[in-house]
Amino acid sequence: MLPLFAGIVNSCLPGKRNKVSGWIATAAILASCVLSVIIFAKTWNVRETHVQQLWFTIGDTKLYAGILLNNLSALMLLLVSVIALPVHIYSTAYMKNDENYDRYFIYLSFFCFSMLALVVVDSMVLLYVFWELVGFSSYLLIGFWFTREKAVQANKKAFLMNRIGDVGLLTAIIILFAQYHTFDIAQLFGEGGLAGQPTITNGLWVAHGGGLPAIWQYIACGGIFLGVAAKSAQFPLHTWLPDAMEGPTSISALIHAATMVAAGVFLLGRVYPMFTTAELDILAVIGCFTAFMAATIALTQNDLKRILAYSTISQLGFMVMAMGIGAYASSLFHLVTHAFFKCLLFLVAGIVIHQMEHIKKDNDLDIDPQNILYMGGLRKKMPFTFIAAVIAGLALIGLPLTSGYLSKDGILIQAVDWSDSKSLLFRLVPIGAIITTWLTAFYVARMIVKVFFGEFRLEQFHPHIKYHCSDGGWQYRATLILLALACLFPFFSLNPLLYEQGWIFGGFNSIQLARVNPYHTIIPAGVNILSVLLIYWAWAVYTGRKILVFPQTGLLFRLSYHEWFIDKVYNKVLVRAVLAFSKALSWFDHNIIDGFINLLPLITIALSKITAWIDHYIIDGISRVLAFIVQITGNFVRRFQGGKIQYYLFSMLAIVLALFILKILI
Amino acid sequence: MSLAQALFYLMGFIVVASALFVASTKNLVRSIFMFFITLFALAGLYVLALADFVAITQVVIYVGGILVLILFAFMLSGKETLNVLQQQKSKFISLNKLPAIVLAVLFFIVMVNVIGKINAGNLGWIKQVISAKAEIKPNDEMINNIGINLMTRYLLPFEAISILLLTALVGAAHLARKEGRA
Amino acid sequence: MISLTDFLMVSAALFCIGLYMIVSKHNAIQILIGIELMLNAAILNLVAFGKYDKIANGGQVFALFAIVLAAATTAVALAIILNVYKKYKTIDPGRINNLKD
Repeated sequence: MLPLFAGIVNSCLPGKRNKVSGWIATAAILASCVLSVIIFAKTWNVRETHVQQLWFTIGDTKLYAGILLNNLSALMLLLVSVIALPVHIYSTAYMKNDENYDRYFIYLSFFCFSMLALVVVDSMVLLYVFWELVGFSSYLLIGFWFTREKAVQANKKAFLMNRIGDVGLLTAIIILFAQYHTFDIAQLFGEGGLAGQPTITNGLWVAHGGGLPAIWQYIACGGIFLGVAAKSAQFPLHTWLPDAMEGPTSISALIHAATMVAAGVFLLGRVYPMFTTAELDILAVIGCFTAFMAATIALTQNDLKRILAYSTISQLGFMVMAMGIGAYASSLFHLVTHAFFKCLLFLVAGIVIHQMEHIKKDNDLDIDPQNILYMGGLRKKMPFTFIAAVIAGLALIGLPLTSGYLSKDGILIQAVDWSDSKSLLFRLVPIGAIITTWLTAFYVARMIVKVFFGEFRLEQFHPHIKYHCSDGGWQYRATLILLALACLFPFFSLNPLLYEQGWIFGGFNSIQLARVNPYHTIIPAGVNILSVLLIYWAWAVYTGRKILVFPQTGLLFRLSYHEWFIDKVYNKVLVRAVLAFSKALSWFDHNIIDGFINLLPLITIALSKITAWIDHYIIDGISRVLAFIVQITGNFVRRFQGGKIQYYLFSMLAIVLALFILKILI
Repeated sequence: MSLAQALFYLMGFIVVASALFVASTKNLVRSIFMFFITLFALAGLYVLALADFVAITQVVIYVGGILVLILFAFMLSGKETLNVLQQQKSKFISLNKLPAIVLAVLFFIVMVNVIGKINAGNLGWIKQVISAKAEIKPNDEMINNIGINLMTRYLLPFEAISILLLTALVGAAHLARKEGRA
Repeated sequence: MISLTDFLMVSAALFCIGLYMIVSKHNAIQILIGIELMLNAAILNLVAFGKYDKIANGGQVFALFAIVLAAATTAVALAIILNVYKKYKTIDPGRINNLKD
């Protein structure tokens, strides 16, 4: 509970000025870090804690709000706060010249709060709530520099894609509720949980309380998968992540390397018992495909942060694949290690970009500070950063003596084992994974060589520039040291080569493979030797010793460079359709609905005009006619008393005549 | 058709024609002079009706007296009166008189109707008189008759008329007096 | 011989002409002439019927009386017309309408 409160207090506090808010946020995170360590110590492999309270009741259904602390959540808790701490320290230096300093820390604290809450809640409803909040905070943070057009578009894209995932997740939650009538995670997925029990027999999803047609189970799993794909950037919902690099680099480090994207994998971890074997297979295939695709794209990118973004996508693909093949523990292990070295890589990138921006401002150049084509030879200028980058890069590739080796090779070995028990087609999965590993080695090496080795290429484009680069203040260095240490093997296992002895591994139930399996030695050896060769090759190519230079044109290059054209396809097909639709709707609203409303006063005016005419002519006309008749009659009759004696005589005679005529005729 | 009848029709025609002229003209003088002719023709009619004394009396009194009186009253009234009297509208055919014409015509029709109905020639007492041969013949001397009747049978009306005439004379003389000297 | 009916017709015609003059003339003296015409028509009527009364001879005697009365009437009427002219400066009976409502 306590980290939650820290987060909330944090989000209420800011509103103050610059530097102070940064320190407040950092202090809060430090506090939560300490607390999470305590909790971790109490919960890991010892016991579960589950605290609940009645939240509200709808009809017969009661909803509980509470906290569930088992191995998974304790681990995540620790991970999030431990990663967040160096990032906070780093941010105080990185953002120190930015005028929106306090707003940044507000958002950052808000994000930490949502993420921490996400990992500890025990009810699916609350999970969904915090899932959405995490997505929302990332939207705020990606678009932090909202005056830039690209940033605004990027955060819109991120939010929309996350929304699609949210819809999937919501569907799944509802279906689960319909089936099991409870939202409680412990009840659904815990030991002997409900979701672990049912089977699909004869097309019916049989469970404790009743049965639903089997189709709902598939839809539920599909919904979960949509949520995972959106949050963790799997194919096809991965395009938002490279664009999300428009945000500050420290944000990219925290969110997009370590925590938020890991939320998807965390979700998979939570609902794991629910999947059937077929769905797990699909999961594995998609994860593998994503990893492969992202790695190929990362080969040709020139923007430093985009390389790292695609690398994240690739590693997440690994994790999802690991989940799919049943290596539950390895997947989570990889999650943790990836968090550390990816975060470190991003922070390094942040420092480099920061220096490039200084150069740009000092010399008033018009370059993209993130483009690695302009970098080079920074090894000499920023040695500290260089060492940290190398460590992280090696961890990413998965060479022995690093933590990455332990987790990644664990996945690879288990993948091969798993495909053994499947049909031949599934052989592609581990093969794809291995190829991806080699690709990873190549692009990481390329990146490091291009940035840190060789000549400073910016000088070739713009000679006579003055610059100076340095490693930065103690905030940077302390952070880098901390994270670099975590990338090395001692943190995770005493034996550098055997992953089973990693303590994380021991914390989760999973398949324990026999040590005698020959794969355990072939795979790591083969993969790693080839990786070393590839590294050397990349170094050779990119420091200019022209060995087998790749052509910069050609179909494969173009395919990779343009990110497999997926983004463009999305834009053309989906975005345009939606925009056209919304234009049509707004036209409809403007013309027809507003037109209809405008028609009503016109009708009223016309009616009133008609009424006025009727009143004027007809009603007045009647009274006028009457008056006229009276006037004529009066005038006529008046003449008889006009005083003219001849008229008198005339009338008298007329009457007499009339009498005579009547007498005669009748 | 005997001479008497022809004369009657002639006289009758003159009477009616001149009377129509008198009625239709706007000019006062002309109407007065045409009235002359009407009166003379009427006298002729009286003669044909075997009332010769009445005819003479008519000529003497009516023509020689009344008409001359009107003429004198009209001619001696002064210039302004003449102008006023002669000032009339000069439309030839106007419909102002239409009601009067209609009235007169209707009256005439009614009278003709009545006259036709009574069949004056066949009235009872007339037939009696004719059969008793008591009607006036053209050869009779009626003046004798008138004189005797006037003094015996109609003495009272005779005297009354004379008094009436006297009062009329005095009254007219008084009415037409000049206003006293200023 | 001349039938009685013919005399009566002439008399009726004269009477109606006189009536027309009275009703429609705008000159007082012409109205007076109209009155004379009517009187004359009445006298003609008397004379026509008087043919059949040899002994009492009422027709012709009363015709005489009527002529005398007509004279008196005319004299008085002319005096009145003179007075009216003096007061109203007009002898158009249409204009003398002080008796109107």
